[in-house]
Amino acid sequence: MFLQTQGITKEFGKLRAVNEVSLEIVKGDIHAIIGPNGAGKSTYFNLITGYHRATSGKVLFRDKEITNLPAYSRCNLGITRSFQITSIYPKLTVYESVLMGLLSHRKVTLNFFSSAKKFFREEVWRTLEDVGLADQANTLGDSISHGDKKRLELAITLGTEPELLCLDEPTCGMSPEETDVAMSLIKKFSEERGLTILFTEHDMSVVFGIAKRISVLHQGTLIADGTPKEVRASEEVQKVYLGGSA
Amino acid sequence: MQKVELEANSSGVKKSWWLILLLIASLIAPLFLTEFYLTVLCEALVMSMLALSFNLLFGYMGQLSFGQAAFYGLGGYAVAMLMTKVHFNFWLSIVAGVLVASIIGLIVGFFCVRLRGIYFAVLTLAFGQLIFFIVFKWHNFTGGDDGIQGIFPPEFLKSPTNYYYFLLIIFLLSAWVLWKIIHSPFGQTIVSMRENSERTEFLGINIAKYQLITFVIAAAIAGLAGAIWVPFYRSVAPSYLTWIKSGEPVMAAILGGPGLFFGPVLGMFIMTFFHSWVLGFTIYWPVVMGALILVVIFFLPGGILGFIQEKINQRKEIRNRE
Repeated sequence: MFLQTQGITKEFGKLRAVNEVSLEIVKGDIHAIIGPNGAGKSTYFNLITGYHRATSGKVLFRDKEITNLPAYSRCNLGITRSFQITSIYPKLTVYESVLMGLLSHRKVTLNFFSSAKKFFREEVWRTLEDVGLADQANTLGDSISHGDKKRLELAITLGTEPELLCLDEPTCGMSPEETDVAMSLIKKFSEERGLTILFTEHDMSVVFGIAKRISVLHQGTLIADGTPKEVRASEEVQKVYLGGSA
Repeated sequence: MQKVELEANSSGVKKSWWLILLLIASLIAPLFLTEFYLTVLCEALVMSMLALSFNLLFGYMGQLSFGQAAFYGLGGYAVAMLMTKVHFNFWLSIVAGVLVASIIGLIVGFFCVRLRGIYFAVLTLAFGQLIFFIVFKWHNFTGGDDGIQGIFPPEFLKSPTNYYYFLLIIFLLSAWVLWKIIHSPFGQTIVSMRENSERTEFLGINIAKYQLITFVIAAAIAGLAGAIWVPFYRSVAPSYLTWIKSGEPVMAAILGGPGLFFGPVLGMFIMTFFHSWVLGFTIYWPVVMGALILVVIFFLPGGILGFIQEKINQRKEIRNRE
């Protein structure tokens, strides 16, 4: 078993944002979580990555319970995430930002006396070239375009060499061209690096174009889970979500 | 990629000429300075260590400490008490001073690193004042408001000139250690925490742990500064631990520029020398200092050294374009 949630629930006061969701993510899959606004996608994501603690239920990663582990420990186990609002380092260069992921993952951050710049040069440049940011290596994070920032965040997370990469709305705010580039990148990493990808997305064409498996949340409850074909065929999904748009 | 590295190397040599110049100046300074100004220079060096330790937290880790003088004072008090009460060896007392500051730093830090921003600042302030009050009120043990007098360095360090060279060596060593730490993977990690602590945590970094380590390093350097100052001044007083003293490195960092390694050092040198000069003709020194800080905040938001750096970069850019 790769990643599993068992009856996981999150309440904010009286609001039940995620309601007893039991779901399994298979290694190597590209798995999408969809649902209307407020369906609990981001909250579900936050329960997996450790941003929130579950009110009840369990999260298991490789058969080990991680429900109450802090975010950094989950990352050290191989679960890394991106944020819906791009989260990068505004005053670090693109190069330094990607280096940070590697420094953390390769456990050298308690080295006090070697020069940080001497570490992992090849890996940083390879990642930068993979995402197409090598020519902006010395530019500050806040001086690059929005689409590039999204790619930078992807590059930073790749530095931690994750097994499960969780992407919260990876194409949010991107132009259609940028979206295509981003999705093909994600597909490429899934294939080349054997990454398992879990992502939330509101753009249905993106989801059905890339996901191998889709789970649909509605008002915090899981209403469908299966291949894109199965999900498209589900009457309940048609009713609450896809409606006229799909 | 190689081209980038080469450029970095040549600018490294070019950049360090002024450091070499300053080093030479500091080596020959005692030949030219009166004893009064040599004392001021000594104070500037020691206070610069305090400012550097503060800026590790403020400029690099991004947390404002308003209790840094408590560790400075603790280092000083440890030395004073060990040397006067149990006639401990000078060198061992200094080591003990650093240890005391580090251990208290570990305890205080344990609570402070759970907080960020203004709450971190206020808690460091509260702990700083708490330590001050204990020292101030515990008359039997610490001498209370009388402080402790009669702390003497070994014979060969009794002349101000010799002690100056001793202070210079410790200052340079401390600065070098901090410089190495800031440019190490650990330093990169605390800078990343400053830039985006959430992103850094989600890369697998335990933020509280790294904040605590940084806090203890800063406390140790501050403690060392206090420990080497007290035998030079021959006395220690509770005023060393107050939040007013803690404000000095804050002002020095803002004055000189917290974004650059030597910014707080420049700020502290300006403050210390300006202080002794202004006091010659007015007692309203804080007014003058306040005005200076105002000017810097409004017109040179990156501090004085930050401003100079910016001008140099602009000139370089123009030259490159031509």
